[in-house]
Amino acid sequence: MRTNLSKLILLFAIATVIGVWSRVIGMSPHQALAVAIFSVSLLGTLFFWDFRISFVFLGISVLLASKTIDLEHLVAFSSLEIILFLVGMMVIVGLLKDAGFFAWIVTLILRIRNMTAKKFVFVLAVISALLACAVDEVTSIIFMVAAILEICDYFEADPIPYIIISVLATNIGSAGTVLGNPIGILIATKSGLTFEDFIIKAFPLAMISLVVMIFIVIAFYKKSLEKLDQQIKKLGSNEILIDLISVPPDKNTKAALYIFGITIAFIALSHRLDVMWKLENNTVLLIVPLVAAGLIMIWKHNKAQEFIEKDVEWGTLLFFLLLFAQTGTLKYTGATDFLAQKITGITGHNPYFITTFVLWVSAIGSSILDNVVLVAAFIPVIQEFQKFGIALQPLWWALLFGGCFGGNITLVGSTANIVALGLLQKERKIKISFFTWFWIGLSVGTATTLVIWIALLFLPFYK
Amino acid sequence: MKVKEGMTVKVTSLSPEMNAREALDLLLKMEISGLPVVDSNNKLIGMFTEKGVLRTLLPGYIEKVGTFTYHENPKMIKQKVAALATMTVKEIMREDVITVNEETALSEVARIMLVQKVRRLPVLNNNKELVGIIARVDVLKALFAEQN
Repeated sequence: MRTNLSKLILLFAIATVIGVWSRVIGMSPHQALAVAIFSVSLLGTLFFWDFRISFVFLGISVLLASKTIDLEHLVAFSSLEIILFLVGMMVIVGLLKDAGFFAWIVTLILRIRNMTAKKFVFVLAVISALLACAVDEVTSIIFMVAAILEICDYFEADPIPYIIISVLATNIGSAGTVLGNPIGILIATKSGLTFEDFIIKAFPLAMISLVVMIFIVIAFYKKSLEKLDQQIKKLGSNEILIDLISVPPDKNTKAALYIFGITIAFIALSHRLDVMWKLENNTVLLIVPLVAAGLIMIWKHNKAQEFIEKDVEWGTLLFFLLLFAQTGTLKYTGATDFLAQKITGITGHNPYFITTFVLWVSAIGSSILDNVVLVAAFIPVIQEFQKFGIALQPLWWALLFGGCFGGNITLVGSTANIVALGLLQKERKIKISFFTWFWIGLSVGTATTLVIWIALLFLPFYK
Repeated sequence: MKVKEGMTVKVTSLSPEMNAREALDLLLKMEISGLPVVDSNNKLIGMFTEKGVLRTLLPGYIEKVGTFTYHENPKMIKQKVAALATMTVKEIMREDVITVNEETALSEVARIMLVQKVRRLPVLNNNKELVGIIARVDVLKALFAEQN
């Protein structure tokens, strides 16, 4: 109780200092208040994750009461289109779960033939990354942890290295498509980048980074892998694991897979359909999950209520909605314009410096703070750079990769990390220390961010 | 009609330090699905149930993984079954227990049972001591007895 009170006092003290400092450097009272309120939300996620919604509720109320923003703009800035997209995707994921799709993925991992430690790491990393690309990082990590724990129990091996490897790959994979991470859709809708842009430009970089990660983890966990190889030799093949669980293929599973496949296909073609039907960029991208979710709820009308109530994370979405409104307030008051000018004051108008700044600040920031909060704050600042004639595309990619890869650096860097470690602690009473994670996280986080840095600075493709 | 007129007064209760395996054996012997856990002052501190034991044995993520079928017993479940002998009731019991007072009306008990989806409720006196237990069947019997 006393610790919580101290954290609360510290939170408001830091936010007040930031607010006062904003005034000192020349911001208007409304700009400084918007910055201070946003700092409260940002620190609220860091200190009081479970109560983060309370902070955005109170923050928005203060912004409205102080006339820092009006109701009309608050609604406009809340990015309802992103919220609806996420609702649609969550319903689709609910259907896939109900149809046994994820358990089927677990069976694929359990059935690896002629298992060796390196093969296990490779399969684990690739499936983690691809699953994160296709659904989202938090959903995918639950199933990966389930598979890892079963395999490690069977071979009596320490699950820690494999859980960490899977999380690292999940965070890397989550940058590969619009679907992998909420910041993907956030950046896509605000920048005008399409799903195709992500597939052509982000996905290959994510896969290259994944290869780099695999090399690093194999070297870093050499001893653990040797031990696993010894256990595999001692206990023989994974016969029991092969038959451990099954997902009977029935017409529902197939139908769910078809729906998911068609949804992904339409999402992939969304830009072309936008052009063909003369719609605004990303309109089809936002519509497709809603159409799919709507059809799913008609098809599975008995479970429609369950999909909406249990599979949609309303708390998270409500937090996002009000957080987006708060970052919109930063833009509305001109605070982001002010910050953009300050940043260009440091980096000049040199696109290389600005790209470097966005990439590394978002990576380091995401290692401690929630990446959605950080990216949401960065977006209006980046939009302001356009005024200075700076090409925005490399900055969007820098923000995406920094936000996703930075999450690998510390054990609280992303939601996937927290979910995986929470499961490990609950299921096996194993608590990973900060430094058990930090050295491998820092190595992978730094190396993969370097890959992105080089690509963004030197490949004309990303200009 | 009040709870005290329909409840079972002779209640077998468990101590939090009791061995979990022995407690489970007691449940199986008595052919009931749960027993209250009380401290040395007879204050209710939890419920030890078959469901709680199953929840301890099976992985916590099974509900999140979605639809699947087990064909073999995972190694960890076998290990957890063996480990039950080294665990105490306190480690498995559910602490957030819904209770009723002995003066509570039976209709209110019936309402709680339906709304909260519980089969039986521990009954406490004004000093928060365990004085009985009331099951669905007790409520029905008492309600019909009142009509006759």
